Amino acid sequence: MRSRTWLRTFRSAFLLIILAAPLTADAQWLNYPTPGIPRLPNGAPNLKAPAPRTPDGKPDFSGMWFANVPSRDFCKEKDCIQEERMAREQINLGIKLKDGLPYTEWSKEQMKSRRANGGREDPHSYCMPPNFPRAWTLPQHSRVVQTPGMMVVLHEFNAAYREIYLDGRPLPVNPNPTWNGYSTGRWDGDTLVVETNGIRDDMWLDIQGSPITESGRVTERLKRVNFGLMEIEIAVNDPKAYTKPWSVTIEMALIADTQMLEEICMDNEKDTRLYRK
Amino acid sequence: MTTRWSLVSACAGLSLLLASAAAAHHSQSEYDLRGKVEVEGAVTKVEWRSPHAWIYVDALNDKGEKVNWSFELPSPVTLMRRGWTRDSLKPGDRVKVTGAPAKNFPAIAIANFIRDDSGKPLFTGTTSVNETESK
Repeated sequence: MRSRTWLRTFRSAFLLIILAAPLTADAQWLNYPTPGIPRLPNGAPNLKAPAPRTPDGKPDFSGMWFANVPSRDFCKEKDCIQEERMAREQINLGIKLKDGLPYTEWSKEQMKSRRANGGREDPHSYCMPPNFPRAWTLPQHSRVVQTPGMMVVLHEFNAAYREIYLDGRPLPVNPNPTWNGYSTGRWDGDTLVVETNGIRDDMWLDIQGSPITESGRVTERLKRVNFGLMEIEIAVNDPKAYTKPWSVTIEMALIADTQMLEEICMDNEKDTRLYRK
Repeated sequence: MTTRWSLVSACAGLSLLLASAAAAHHSQSEYDLRGKVEVEGAVTKVEWRSPHAWIYVDALNDKGEKVNWSFELPSPVTLMRRGWTRDSLKPGDRVKVTGAPAKNFPAIAIANFIRDDSGKPLFTGTTSVNETESK
C-alpha cells in the first residue's frame, strides 16, 4: 500500500517535471513549439502541407510571417554581428518591375530630395509607425489573427496593429488620413482581396522613398499557397504619385516555433542625433 | 590595458547606404561604412534596449588618454534571435570591437565584430527560425 502511494507520488512528480520543462526552458518562447501545426517525421514544421482552413472553409492566414528571404551576415567577413534579413522590396518596392515604378514628375522631385539626404527623412528612422504595405517587408515580424469578421495584423515594430474588416462594410468616404489607412477585405475564391484608402499624404513605400499619398488606393491580394507560404500582390493606384496603376508580388514565409518580440523604437533611439551635423 | 584604434575614411555611396540598412531602423548614412575603427578595452555599460543595443567601451587613445567609445549593435530582438541574451556582455568584460565610425562624431561607431581578448569571436549565431523556402 505504502509503495503504491509512493509510486503514484513519483509518477505525479515526474509528469509535473515533464510538463513544466518546456515552460521553464527559455526566458522567452523563442524556440517554443507552436501547437497544432503540421509537422514532418523529424518534428520540423511541414511547410509544404496544404494551407489550413477556417471552419467555414476559407483559407486561414493566421500565423507569424516574415518576407521569404534567408538570413545572412551583412559583412563579407565571417563572424559578423550585423545581419541582413530583409526583402529587396524594402529598399525598392518596384525592384522586380522591368521599368521600375512609374513615378510622376511630382514623385521624382520628392524622391530627389529624399535620396539627397541619404534617406535620413525616412519616417521609419524617426520611429514612426510601420505603415502597410511597407510593413510586410520590414525586418520585423507580422502576426495575422483571422476571425470571420476581421483580420488583425500585428507588427513587432512599435507593437503596432492594423485592422482589416471582413464584415462587408464599405470603405469610408473622405476619411481622416492615417498611417495604415482603412482596410476592408472580401473573398475572391481562396484569395482575400484587401482594399485600403485613407492613407496619409507623406508616406514612404520603401527606403528609397517611393511615395504614396492621400489620393492613393492600395489593393492587396493575399493567397496562402501552402502552409509555409503566402503570396501578396500589392497593387497601387495613386494618380498623384504614379502615372499609371502598378502591382508587384511579394512572398511571405510562415515563421513557426517562436514568438513575436516587441521592438519599441522610441525606447532608446539614438541614431537621429547623429544626423545633426 | 592595450588599446588601439585606426580610422580609414572613404566616401560611402547611396547604394552602399541603402544596402546597409538591412537590419536597422534607419539608413545608416550617419556612419562612414567604408571606414574602419578597431577598439580594445573594457565594457563599461550595456544598453539592451530598442531599436538598437549599445555597448560602451573604455579604451586608451594614442596619447594614453581614456576615451569611452559608444558602439551601436543590432536590435536586442535580432540579437536574441541569434542566440544572445541581455547578459551576453557585461560591464568589465574585455572586448575587441571592429566597426564603422560615425561621420561627424568622435568615439561613436557601429559594431560589426566583437571578439574577446584572444581574438576569438564572441557572438556568431544566426537567426534560428524556419526559413526554408516552401515552394
